[in-house]
Amino acid sequence: MKFFKSINIITLLIILAYMSLLFHIYINPEMSSVYPSRPVVIIVHSKPGSGVDLMARKISDIIRKKNYSTVPFVIENRSGTQGVVAMQYVLDKEPDGYTMLAVTKSFLSTLMVNKSRVSIEDFKFISAMLFDPEAIIVNKNTTLKNLKDIIMDAKKKNGEQVWIGPGTGGRDHLMAIKTWEKLGIKAKWIDYKTGPQSVLALMRNEASVYVGNPIDIRGKENLKIIAIAAPDRLQNLPDIKTFKELGYELNEYMWRGLAFRKEVDPEIIKYMNKVLTKVSRDPEWLKYNEEVFALPIYMETKKISRLIQDEIVETNIYLKKAKLLKEYIKKAPLAIWLAGIIIFLSLLLLTLIAVKFNIRKINQDMLMSMLFIWLALFFFYQTTQFSIPSDLNITDPAFVPFLWITLLILLSIILFIKALNRPYNKKINGSGNIKSVLLIIILLILYFFLIIWIGYFIATVLLIAAIMNILNYRIIPMILISSMGFVIFSYVIFELLLKIKLPVGRLLS
Amino acid sequence: MEILVNLWTGFVAISAFTPILMIFIGVLIGILVGVLPGLSPSIGVALLLPATYNLDPVSALVLLVSVYLSSNYGGSITAIAINTPGTPGAVATTFDGYELTKKGKPGLALGTSLVSSTIGGLIGTIILIAFSIPLAKVALNFESYEYFSLGIFGLTIISSLAGDNPLKGFIASVLGLLLVTIGFDTQLPFSRFTLGIPELSDGIEFIPALIGLFALGEIFYSIENFSILKKEHKARKKYSAKLPPFKKFWSFKKVILKSSILGTIIGSIPGAGGTIATFIAYNSAKNSSKNPEDFGKGSLEGVAAPESANNGSVGGALIPLLTLGIPGSASTAVLLGALMIHKLNPGPELFTKQPDIVYGIFISLILANIVMFFFGMIGNRFWVKIIAAPKSLVYPIIIALSFIGSYFIENSMFDVGVCLAFGILAWLLKRANFPTAPVVLGLILGKMIEENLRLSLVKGSFTEFFTRPISLLLLILSLLSFFSPYIKKYLSNRAE
Repeated sequence: MKFFKSINIITLLIILAYMSLLFHIYINPEMSSVYPSRPVVIIVHSKPGSGVDLMARKISDIIRKKNYSTVPFVIENRSGTQGVVAMQYVLDKEPDGYTMLAVTKSFLSTLMVNKSRVSIEDFKFISAMLFDPEAIIVNKNTTLKNLKDIIMDAKKKNGEQVWIGPGTGGRDHLMAIKTWEKLGIKAKWIDYKTGPQSVLALMRNEASVYVGNPIDIRGKENLKIIAIAAPDRLQNLPDIKTFKELGYELNEYMWRGLAFRKEVDPEIIKYMNKVLTKVSRDPEWLKYNEEVFALPIYMETKKISRLIQDEIVETNIYLKKAKLLKEYIKKAPLAIWLAGIIIFLSLLLLTLIAVKFNIRKINQDMLMSMLFIWLALFFFYQTTQFSIPSDLNITDPAFVPFLWITLLILLSIILFIKALNRPYNKKINGSGNIKSVLLIIILLILYFFLIIWIGYFIATVLLIAAIMNILNYRIIPMILISSMGFVIFSYVIFELLLKIKLPVGRLLS
Repeated sequence: MEILVNLWTGFVAISAFTPILMIFIGVLIGILVGVLPGLSPSIGVALLLPATYNLDPVSALVLLVSVYLSSNYGGSITAIAINTPGTPGAVATTFDGYELTKKGKPGLALGTSLVSSTIGGLIGTIILIAFSIPLAKVALNFESYEYFSLGIFGLTIISSLAGDNPLKGFIASVLGLLLVTIGFDTQLPFSRFTLGIPELSDGIEFIPALIGLFALGEIFYSIENFSILKKEHKARKKYSAKLPPFKKFWSFKKVILKSSILGTIIGSIPGAGGTIATFIAYNSAKNSSKNPEDFGKGSLEGVAAPESANNGSVGGALIPLLTLGIPGSASTAVLLGALMIHKLNPGPELFTKQPDIVYGIFISLILANIVMFFFGMIGNRFWVKIIAAPKSLVYPIIIALSFIGSYFIENSMFDVGVCLAFGILAWLLKRANFPTAPVVLGLILGKMIEENLRLSLVKGSFTEFFTRPISLLLLILSLLSFFSPYIKKYLSNRAE
């Protein structure tokens, strides 16, 4: 009775709102079986404003304006690991035709080099939408005015001429290698990580040539395109010659397009091909291609898939030439991993025991320094597993970690010795409520799995109520209001406003 | 004179209903983005980008820069209130801001943060308007050697951050430096130290780690001392929303001015960014302060310095974007996208061909600062109320918020795990008297140091770090900054 008395009208409202939220989430109305019946999501592997992103947004824009599809196409950006994050994300989704991936040619080399679980075979390519030719770009304020100058200079420098661009083993890097081969020169590739950093370096004259796309010079007065690797001149850049005109058969471009998971129904792919063909003929699309200096070449499923087969072979050859198709890390024996983990766990256990029973002879500083030394050695062991070919123009990837490892060990040893000389901790920090903290940590680990299994919306209410209980907060209406209220608040902010799908749980979905 | 004409053009361009409305909306959203842990300025700007497609270019850019500016302020609110930097740029604000809250004076900290953010933002904008061309030249001259030296300079701040136990501070920072080597190698296409976990192949996601280190670490630590905390709470039931008096601000005008300029300059260097600026400003304020011993214990100067630098960096970051078309930070990369979408090509041409847009942005930044100030004033009372709520009610909510914030960034449960792991790490560190801020500093600077050290060694030789003037200057400053706390101690000991 007391329980019911304490519940007031606000609490009731919150409970009601929470219940209807759960109802809304878990009890979906019958979904229409006709494809498409809800928005199609295009996953983009880079941040908003990048080349692929702009293309995907343009496509979605044209489809919406011209009603090429009955449903909207929305863009979602998932960046990380050169696209692998986005690819994995699409593969984790149902193959129901509602999740598309915006793809670029760069994925081919990325997947070959990265050795992730994802493979190019996991996808079915719907179409290529446009071809963005590669270009070699120089700084206007140098003596390099044309292709001949570059060749002469390269021969004079005998392999020391510097070419730059973003990424090692990426499209631009491979274009550089291909160009050197065609021109019969030798040069040095330096990876400046990102396009903007490479452009900056070129502006500073740190390099002779930057390998990129024609769009990179937009708004930058002191950069000049020497040649583009396309069969014909670009309409928007009529003065810029192609390699072909200069006497070199060199075509290299970055195509961009769209793909599904390979399991997607052929009927859906047919539908998508129809929609995208319409887009590819739209005047607005053609104008957009002109603006970004790209060629609006449309290739449907069969054609692009065939092209990719050829390109995989070619990419493989050039990656081998760049000496980039190697395993850089040896697989470590399982026993060593187990030993490492056992040592770690026993150190952690020791720390917790010492903490719990206030064993003062083993003070925390000693334990912490031991943990750090273990961590450093663990990292060190992994650096010994690197196998880096010695003839690459790079510094050893183990060099900097090794620096930090040495420092960490040295400093931890000093700390340990200092702690030895001071066996009794004068003041033990926080000798209080360890049990509550450990309980909450266990609760949080449990919460982590509960989210995966029964979903965010139920798990979070339980978590908040449970922690309040541990912290001796016992006013039931307030517990209900704050836990359910928080879930409703986060639903509004994250799902409704920010369009992030919160996990609904494997058991209940 | 020409500049005044241009500013007038800009003023005309934004004096319409939509741009002004966008400033208000942008500031409001920006503060919210800053307050929510997990939503950094760049994510906030990126999220709003799609909403700007159907706006005219001026309104679109005004909205985005307003969000960018005010989210940098918003991050300080949670930093002060609950020791959780809402944005990476607010890490240094926790050092003294949260101490003030613990002392029952959150109003002082929030007020100082607001005032210095506003002034910092204004100074940054003025520098952007007046000196963008010469500063762009400085930015252009920053090569890998200088970036490396700047990173080293940033690291030396630990000697003054670490307080009474520098050894533990160094260990904590090396821990951060080592952890940030996990992930994609900077020169070869493979991932280091991932133990075969695919989620680690791009390294540890920074923001979940940050939330864990600060929010969860603090909560675990205070729950352990809950009984003590309860008593303190009872003793100081009334949290004061009182703002610092004007005289107080006047007394550290130099700190605010210096930090704003520092923030703008460092912010204008592509890739360096506002967060590093806040640390450097904090350090330099401490070194030049009359009461350096108050830093880390609730010094108002310690709040003013990072906050003015942080908001000053916004103006700075726009310099390379608008003059060179080079984005210097994650947020300006998204802004570059916005410019591209609206068919604007940043660069010198933009200044001459479309002064209404460039100067419209400048004027809107000034207005956004003023609007931010008023919203901030209204908000401060509300934040103090939240701070005064019982901890047993607030902590569970913060924990849940930390988790959803970590999840949000990549839609990844793995990041939630990262947040929890760093929370436990922070708790272990704290109870063994290790400071956690150096870990963050290591995480922030590690990549910049490694990338540029290795790039420099590939390009040239080791000696260039010492033969290039800016690099050498930065290295000398590093030595001075590293040893200054010890020299000061030595001198004061001798004086006694």
